[in-house]
Amino acid sequence: MKIKSLALAALVFVPAALSLAKTIDLLNVSYDPTRELYVDYNKAFAAHWKAQTGDTVNIKTTHGGSGKQARSVIDGLGADVVTLALAADVDALYEFAKLVPQDWQKRLPNNSAPYTSTIVFLVRKGNPKGIKDWDDLVKPGVGVVTPNPKTSGGARWNYLAAWAYALKKNNGGEDAAKKFVAALYKNVPVLDSGARGSTTTFVQREIGDVAISWENEAFLALKEFGKEKFEIVVPSLSILAEPTVTVVDKVAKKHGTEAVAKAYLEYLYSDEGQEIAARNFYRPRNETIVAKYAARFPQLNLVTIDDTFGGWAKAQKTHFADGGTFDQIYLK
Amino acid sequence: MKRNLPFKFAVFAALVPFAALRAESADRADLEALRAQVQQLEQQLKVLSRQLEIKEEAAAAAPPPKITLNDKGFTLASADNANWIKLRGLVQLDSRLFFNDGGGIANNAFVLRRARIISEGQFAKNFGFQLVPEFGGSSISVLDANLTVAVTPGLQLKFGKFKTPVGLELLQSDSWTFFNERSIVTNLVPNRDLGVQASGDLFDGRLSYQAGVFNGVGDGGSSTNADFDNEKDFAGRVFATPFKQAAGSPVQGLSFGVAGSIGREKTAAGRASSYRTDGQQTFFTYNAAVVADGENWRIAPQFDYRLGSFGAIGEYIVSTINARPSAAGAKAELQNKAWQIAAGYVLTGEDSSLNGVVPRNNFDPSAGTWGAFEVVGRYARLDVDDAAFPAFASAASNADSARSLGVGLNWYLAKAVAFKFDYYQTKFGFNAAAPAVSTAQILRQDENAFITRFQLAF
Repeated sequence: MKIKSLALAALVFVPAALSLAKTIDLLNVSYDPTRELYVDYNKAFAAHWKAQTGDTVNIKTTHGGSGKQARSVIDGLGADVVTLALAADVDALYEFAKLVPQDWQKRLPNNSAPYTSTIVFLVRKGNPKGIKDWDDLVKPGVGVVTPNPKTSGGARWNYLAAWAYALKKNNGGEDAAKKFVAALYKNVPVLDSGARGSTTTFVQREIGDVAISWENEAFLALKEFGKEKFEIVVPSLSILAEPTVTVVDKVAKKHGTEAVAKAYLEYLYSDEGQEIAARNFYRPRNETIVAKYAARFPQLNLVTIDDTFGGWAKAQKTHFADGGTFDQIYLK
Repeated sequence: MKRNLPFKFAVFAALVPFAALRAESADRADLEALRAQVQQLEQQLKVLSRQLEIKEEAAAAAPPPKITLNDKGFTLASADNANWIKLRGLVQLDSRLFFNDGGGIANNAFVLRRARIISEGQFAKNFGFQLVPEFGGSSISVLDANLTVAVTPGLQLKFGKFKTPVGLELLQSDSWTFFNERSIVTNLVPNRDLGVQASGDLFDGRLSYQAGVFNGVGDGGSSTNADFDNEKDFAGRVFATPFKQAAGSPVQGLSFGVAGSIGREKTAAGRASSYRTDGQQTFFTYNAAVVADGENWRIAPQFDYRLGSFGAIGEYIVSTINARPSAAGAKAELQNKAWQIAAGYVLTGEDSSLNGVVPRNNFDPSAGTWGAFEVVGRYARLDVDDAAFPAFASAASNADSARSLGVGLNWYLAKAVAFKFDYYQTKFGFNAAAPAVSTAQILRQDENAFITRFQLAF
């Protein structure tokens, strides 16, 4: 009798429970080089969410220059979450469309940056032009590949890393730093709109002698195209790049995806999320995972956006706003 | 000579390899130079190809211009919304019926109250324009024609012809007032004028302001290109919605503020101001010889309140002028006052709004949906200064006060289409010097007007 009752209950409740399971669509608007990272991570999170709630989550991720992606979201692209190259691009979602609260960055640990990266040089095998540090990038005849800071978050990190090096070399002299960065951009033959485009320019179109690149993108180029073709050069000084993530509150609320969007980003801090980040050449935050992958990531002298540039809001306004330093040096 | 020949041959033979070596070395250097040139050219070719490729990718990825046609009009916008042009329209066809008016003093009539094609636009994100010609009524006129420069959200500059920022109900769109006709209070505020205005929203939209300098017009008047005089009027308004961010609070939709204007006028000819009833009949007008001479000022405290389906507005206006009965007459200060309170309730549950009611379901008999219904009520009063009689206005042919009660039903078939049914009763008061029976026929009894409107507004 008891078994029959249990069987009956199972017959009734299991299909009922199954019928309650939902299929949820989630859109992650991300920046250029995270394609491989989020292919892996989306699979892992979908499995995790299914196990936790029984719901199926279909995650789509779009990629492009970080600034360009932020503009698309402001113009109405229905992103439930954004995972962009830098905080300034997420700030724009508040500033221009109030899609997120002003204090969005305080909602997740580490200023909502679950993984970090830095800026390194990718050169051709044998380093034919002898590129060792930033000074070599301003020499005549050296072709430098870097994307457009107006549209690419990675490009802004590249630019600021160069600026920070020049500042240090010139004991904080802003004019000298400006001249140095201007000289560097004179050696840039092509400005791609995003970091992935830049990699294509350097690796596949064989343009230039050195690509200033996200560390993860440089490692990926080695993995995809072979160590026999390219080398990574670590400069004497670089910048701690902190890609940031947030739920786009207004959109998630409209889509009814607030809970899953929040969980999606929180899971980036889990052991599995951090492991996936490290596997995809992003520097994890979790100390255990950091230790596990210590050999992969070289130690180097890193400055931060806050210490050297007074934070993203100030850096954005000074260097990348219309009429800012980049416009001044590049138009010249 | 012959003896030397072998020797010369030997020397020549010895030198040939050296010459060949030199030539080979020169060729190799040339070859290297050529190779470097080819590599350089190849690199340049690659750069050019890549630049072309990037341009093509950008062109393919560039979103096309947006074309939108909806109940807010027809909009053509660039992909980044920095540039857009919008065409909107407003047509109001009224039926005016007057009851117990002593024998058809005012004609019962169909009236094309408003017919406008409104063009607005924005260029380079920060520069806008608005052009509003009026085809309704008896003649064609330009109601609004202005250019705006958006400096920041907190500072916008407007140049041209537009509404003077004083009357609350006057500043509301002609399409979305509770009643077909604005209350008699609006008689005391300036309408459209030519000037320059600064405006903006501060504190996340909790406070808005407008301040401008204008040619200056009389009560209820609109400016033409001809100014009354050399003097200018200053008008300004601050309007606060302090609890805007307090979601769920009953005071979230409370806004209040104060507006005013001040200036000097010295008119050479008559002062045209006259006051009209809800049925648009004149119940007070200054004598033709009256000229303005001196300071004029207005003060207008006002409020707006919205809570779900309920909405209410209220305003009080004092309008003061200095005038002479004729160019040589004694100057006097005249102060006219008016106030109104109006409210509406959307029976079908939609939100009451300054920007009109949006039906949850449009009128569609086949689907069994009927749009939205709103009931409205209003009381308003206007008092003319006693000192205006008899020197500035005839007590025999003018009322010195009007009290108006209005009730109505608004039927929103869709956001853009509405029927409005309003009934107004206006009672008149007279100066002590007035005869027992006014010489103006319309003032011999209350005005009872039933005004129906069919409106298309997008």
